[in-house]
Amino acid sequence: MAPSQHVQVNLSPAELSYLRSSLAQSPPIRLDHTKGPKDFRSMRAEYDVLPGANGSARIALDDGLEALVGVKAEVEKSQRSPRVDEQEHRLTVAAGDMDMQDADDDDTKAKGQNAWVEMSVEIPGFRDEDALPVFLASMLTESLLASGGLKDRLYINRRFHWKLYIDILLLSPALSYPLALLSMTTHLALLTSRLPALKSEKDEDPLFDDDWDASVPLYPKSKGKTKGTQAMDRPPVIVLAMAVDQNIIFDPCKEELAVADAVLAVACTDSTSSPSGAQVIAIRTIDPPSHLTPLGVPNAMNSATGGVVPASTADAITQRELLASSDVWTPPRGGMKRALVGQIVKAVVEKGGVAEEVIQALQSIDVG
Amino acid sequence: MPITILSPSAAIPPQHAPPDDEDIPMADDDDSAFLSTAQPSSKNIVTPGETITSDPQWMRGHGTYIPPNTSTIISTVAGTLHKTNKLLSVQPLRARYQPEIGDLVIGRIVSVQTKKWSVDIAAPTLASLPLSSINLPGGILRRRTAVDELNIRTFFSEGDLLVAEVQQLHNDGNAALHTRSLKYGKLRNGVFTALAGAGGGIMSRRGGVVRSKRQTFTLQTAAGEIGVVLGVNGYIFVSKHVAPAEARDVSITRLEEGVSETLYSSQNDEVEPGLRREIARVSTLVRGLVACGAKVDEDMIVRVYEAAVEMEEEERVMGEKVFGVGEGAKGVVRSVLDRLAVG
Repeated sequence: MAPSQHVQVNLSPAELSYLRSSLAQSPPIRLDHTKGPKDFRSMRAEYDVLPGANGSARIALDDGLEALVGVKAEVEKSQRSPRVDEQEHRLTVAAGDMDMQDADDDDTKAKGQNAWVEMSVEIPGFRDEDALPVFLASMLTESLLASGGLKDRLYINRRFHWKLYIDILLLSPALSYPLALLSMTTHLALLTSRLPALKSEKDEDPLFDDDWDASVPLYPKSKGKTKGTQAMDRPPVIVLAMAVDQNIIFDPCKEELAVADAVLAVACTDSTSSPSGAQVIAIRTIDPPSHLTPLGVPNAMNSATGGVVPASTADAITQRELLASSDVWTPPRGGMKRALVGQIVKAVVEKGGVAEEVIQALQSIDVG
Repeated sequence: MPITILSPSAAIPPQHAPPDDEDIPMADDDDSAFLSTAQPSSKNIVTPGETITSDPQWMRGHGTYIPPNTSTIISTVAGTLHKTNKLLSVQPLRARYQPEIGDLVIGRIVSVQTKKWSVDIAAPTLASLPLSSINLPGGILRRRTAVDELNIRTFFSEGDLLVAEVQQLHNDGNAALHTRSLKYGKLRNGVFTALAGAGGGIMSRRGGVVRSKRQTFTLQTAAGEIGVVLGVNGYIFVSKHVAPAEARDVSITRLEEGVSETLYSSQNDEVEPGLRREIARVSTLVRGLVACGAKVDEDMIVRVYEAAVEMEEEERVMGEKVFGVGEGAKGVVRSVLDRLAVG
């Protein structure tokens, strides 16, 4: 289970219990009255903000969370191997599960390596090796490399390749779990990234067209009807969903996360090959901060409200278990029900589901 | 429509006119004395360390500084420059709440010490609430005992919200709070909202909570009464209004006995879904008001709330959109304010 942020939510038991029972209503009453359970916080986005980068994007949420992503590509010498057949052998080792059978047919198929994409996540108040940035970076990298399409496009020739540096910066303090925001910003930056057009041929030293207008997008625009299999390639997007009782709430804010029964991060990409809306790449559960919240003291056990303080700890635990009152805050225990996971995944990937909406919304920025 | 992405825009200017008591231009204004090229007006923004003027005819006010042996006036904060006759002052763009004696504030317990609590009231330093400044359950005349000191967490523990009054200010700017009134004490049955950087004092001209006669009021809604507490420090609590216990024939010294049962409870009462919805609406509107740069007081909240309910009803009946789409709280409040300005 992924670590939660170490910034503790400091809410009183009364607030936690109120929030939880509001979110457990049907329909759920969210903290922001104007939002339904599937609504995202409104955001402002722009791309091409950094002139020196191949692609960049900035997204700011209304509640102050703001992220900036820059994508920078550099030509790097591939590790030389003396003979072609040996190189193929090495690649199989390096790429692991990759299918090498069609390597001879297509020049750029399955020649990319995971190491060609380097991602760094920086969050104010966290060190590089802290659990949160490390986990965020690995989750984002994992979903990005899952399709294999991106790293193959970084292949130039047998001697050279592009090395992609993706720098993700959270400009504001981590007010709420920033995974979804970072993923959307990265998506937008990659979508608008461009690489210089290659002029040299085959295994020559790469020579590029210095006309930026001639550059090619990193993620080629799908023409729609060209080829069914090739069209599917857009960067993945990660959606955060949380469960409270029977309700599923997307894009929770900090306070809402504090009362979550379980939090799920679903990475998905849109697929034109399958009739359904989107494809799941990865699912991770995130340890909700609610597990670490303090227990509420029921009136019956509080000497300040006329109750009797239990004599021993064992006594206190027994009394608390017997108390079936939902008005007293008790941190949620246990994990997530299978059926609930299924419901969340369905809501994300179904036709017209959350993932499709998010990808389309990000796509329309690029177009407009 | 689950997701809305807007293009970036410049921040909207504050929508209310500046008060009349400032920026009275002098006839003999000598603008050439100012090093900044723009006309010195309320639009003029200075940064810390920036020289405002070196003309000795000006006097320094808040947010400015004169280095020793010079006559240059230097800004110490980032904010807008104001002139009142010959007095130059800089109003900061963002400021923390500066406690003043008598302010009604909402605070959150940060730590529990042997005989006092440390309370976050959005001030530069934490305020302290001594055990001797709270009402102990069981009557006003009860002596504070060693047992109370041991049981300090049964009154307030970490994270608890409380409403209190600033009783005293120490030399170092720390505030001491008290809750020795039936109006004050622990908060429950509702939601808390912090309006960032919009505390009282000089900031209240720019939106946020303003000091007013009544910081605590009840709001009539279709689902019942809602209690709103506007802390001067920009912390706001919207909750179910619990009517004070029937004023029985209790003597003034026994006043606390009636409420002591629930005074330090951390258990919520039953709150109906309809009332929860209205509570959520009010706190959303308050956040929207601050996002729009409007000031937050009783009159404003009541007007905006009533207009918002009316507009939602219209929307439901007419079936057409009346609210700004996709901007959440800010969009709703802006359309409500537009409506109020027209009507």
